[in-house]
Amino acid sequence: MSILIGNKTNVLVQGITGNEGVRATKHMLEYGTKVLAGVTPGKGGQAIEGIPVYNSVKEAIANHPKINTSIVYVPPFAAKDAVMEAIANGIGLVNVITENVPIRDAAEMLACARKEKARVIGPSSIGILSPEKSRLGVIGGEKEIVEAIYKEGPVGVMSKSGGMTNETSWVVRQAGVGQSTVIGIGGDVIIGTNYTDLLGLFERDRQTKAVVMFGELGGTYEDQVADIIKSGDFSKPLIAFIAGKFAEYMPEGMHFGHAGAFIEGSRGSPTEKKKKLREAGAIVVEQHHEIAEKLKEIL
Amino acid sequence: MLHEYEGKALLKKHGIAVPDGKVVRSPSGISDDPDRGKVMVKAQIYASDRAAKGGIIICKDPEDVKRNLSRLLGSKIGNETVHEILVEEKAEIKKELYLSITYDTDSRLPAIIFSSEGGSGIENRFSEGKQKIVKRNIDPLSGLQPWQAREIAIDSGTDPASINKIADVMLKAYRCFLQEDCRLIEINPLAETPTGFMAIDARIDLDETAGFRHPEVNYQRVAVDRQPTEREISVKKANDADYRGTVKYVELDGDIGFLAAGGGGSITCMDALLLHGAKPANYAEYSGNPSAQKVYELVKAAASKPGLKGLWIVGAVANFTRVDETMKGVIDALKEIKPNYPIVVRRSGPFEKEGLELLKKAAKEHGWRMEIYGKEMPLTRSAEIMVQRIKNIARRGD
Repeated sequence: MSILIGNKTNVLVQGITGNEGVRATKHMLEYGTKVLAGVTPGKGGQAIEGIPVYNSVKEAIANHPKINTSIVYVPPFAAKDAVMEAIANGIGLVNVITENVPIRDAAEMLACARKEKARVIGPSSIGILSPEKSRLGVIGGEKEIVEAIYKEGPVGVMSKSGGMTNETSWVVRQAGVGQSTVIGIGGDVIIGTNYTDLLGLFERDRQTKAVVMFGELGGTYEDQVADIIKSGDFSKPLIAFIAGKFAEYMPEGMHFGHAGAFIEGSRGSPTEKKKKLREAGAIVVEQHHEIAEKLKEIL
Repeated sequence: MLHEYEGKALLKKHGIAVPDGKVVRSPSGISDDPDRGKVMVKAQIYASDRAAKGGIIICKDPEDVKRNLSRLLGSKIGNETVHEILVEEKAEIKKELYLSITYDTDSRLPAIIFSSEGGSGIENRFSEGKQKIVKRNIDPLSGLQPWQAREIAIDSGTDPASINKIADVMLKAYRCFLQEDCRLIEINPLAETPTGFMAIDARIDLDETAGFRHPEVNYQRVAVDRQPTEREISVKKANDADYRGTVKYVELDGDIGFLAAGGGGSITCMDALLLHGAKPANYAEYSGNPSAQKVYELVKAAASKPGLKGLWIVGAVANFTRVDETMKGVIDALKEIKPNYPIVVRRSGPFEKEGLELLKKAAKEHGWRMEIYGKEMPLTRSAEIMVQRIKNIARRGD
């Protein structure tokens, strides 16, 4: 098994005719992902990499009733609309790759998803990959690299950063093991699925024996992980790396890296997050490459 | 983050009362008006404990105002320089309250925080549990309803006679929060005065990603408390000139040039440098598959800062940023700068072989002291190598 995506994932690409949509479609097909259709309003009737393009999600689903997952590559101003269209048409999993989505729009579309019981991953997600089964987005990139890094295995990976999703999965592979599912959750202030949501899924997934988390300064998503370890709702080993300690030495209010990465008072500081995670029983490493050594110890 | 006077202008636009005031940028910028009562002289800086640091002064007459303006303008409060001062009427305050609206990452919803006792030092009283606060999430699909606003006021223990007036301020503030695309509105204190409720201070942070809905707003705020350097300005220009990819550059006090790829990768690598006791000379980041030209401008800035002892060019295994394209930018910049300090490179991703090969060739041709690694070298371990090379040179003294 894996979480979120697997052999039964049938994908719709919203914004398929844009540069990024075309590139992602190519990468997904190359990996063996079942991409059934794409949507770009006004461009219905075209084909991208042999995949038919429709004017609306409704039209795409009418022609391809097996679609159960959507990946969103539309521009920021159109992201909320695209997500709400997917949800209204009954798609249960929506992976939003679009970056720079206004927080107000994100809050509205996520409230809509909650109401309709749909799951949104992102915005600003790099994608999702269940090795040897399915890939959403360009996670892992070119064939040669994706094959070098990803292999079916026992480790779940979750990360706010796209680049570090890949790098962290590579460290896992260097420890001699593969991954169950790898998820880029996005580094925005408000996101659809956070670490805690995923740990709930990893807990029930029999393939996953341990989880590695790449966290960052800012917000409270990392702090919430400490809570569900303490409550016992997540009981498998968790290795955590939290980036951004240097920002504690910088003037308050300065933004580095992702949109959600800033410190207000003591809130959001990596020191505080690491302390809470350690107290809860997570394995916290100070250097990113130490993840490999810790994994070898526990698996 | 907006300055107080900018925040107050937004609140006023949405119908919330603020004291009459004027922004002054020179000591002579205010007229002598002997009939004025007491006035507030407020330094426009970002620190939240401005009052405790001497940034807010009550003046009794025009002479007093002038004296304080001359003293404050150009002076330093904490690590910020005062360039602007808000001179405003001193409101007659009967009671201080607290109101803020922000996005709450616990519920992933907008939240209103309200207290019937506001004023400075409230953060400490909150965290020590000494003060009653009411926090309510708002459903973004239906918005804040008048009855909810009244409930919040009632639950805070407010005087029943004020409930409707306070609810009105909350509704206006929420409208401002949505329509102006704010990340944060904080009114502390919200004051009860003889003429009604009034925002005495305002901290407002705008969501830059919603800039396309507010073409009139200038989001180019200086993140650091100083004038940007020429190199910082040149990178900002290069970033704005081309929509593809992002380059960021901020100068710091250290001596190791830092050039990293990706938002998460760059903060990871900054930490790694600090862990090894090294001091970065800058924070430079490129993300989202930028053009060679854009990277060239970034490297030209980062690698030419005087006093560098080394340059660390680092990045995670990229998903889609092309290594060959970005390394072309690196090479073009280094050819001009002709560095004689050691350079350590660690990078991987699409077209890695081609990119690193180009770099090797250029390094050999131009005699750069450069070591190049791909993904076989752990990302953060390359920090150690960079620091070691600089130490070796210091020891040998060349």
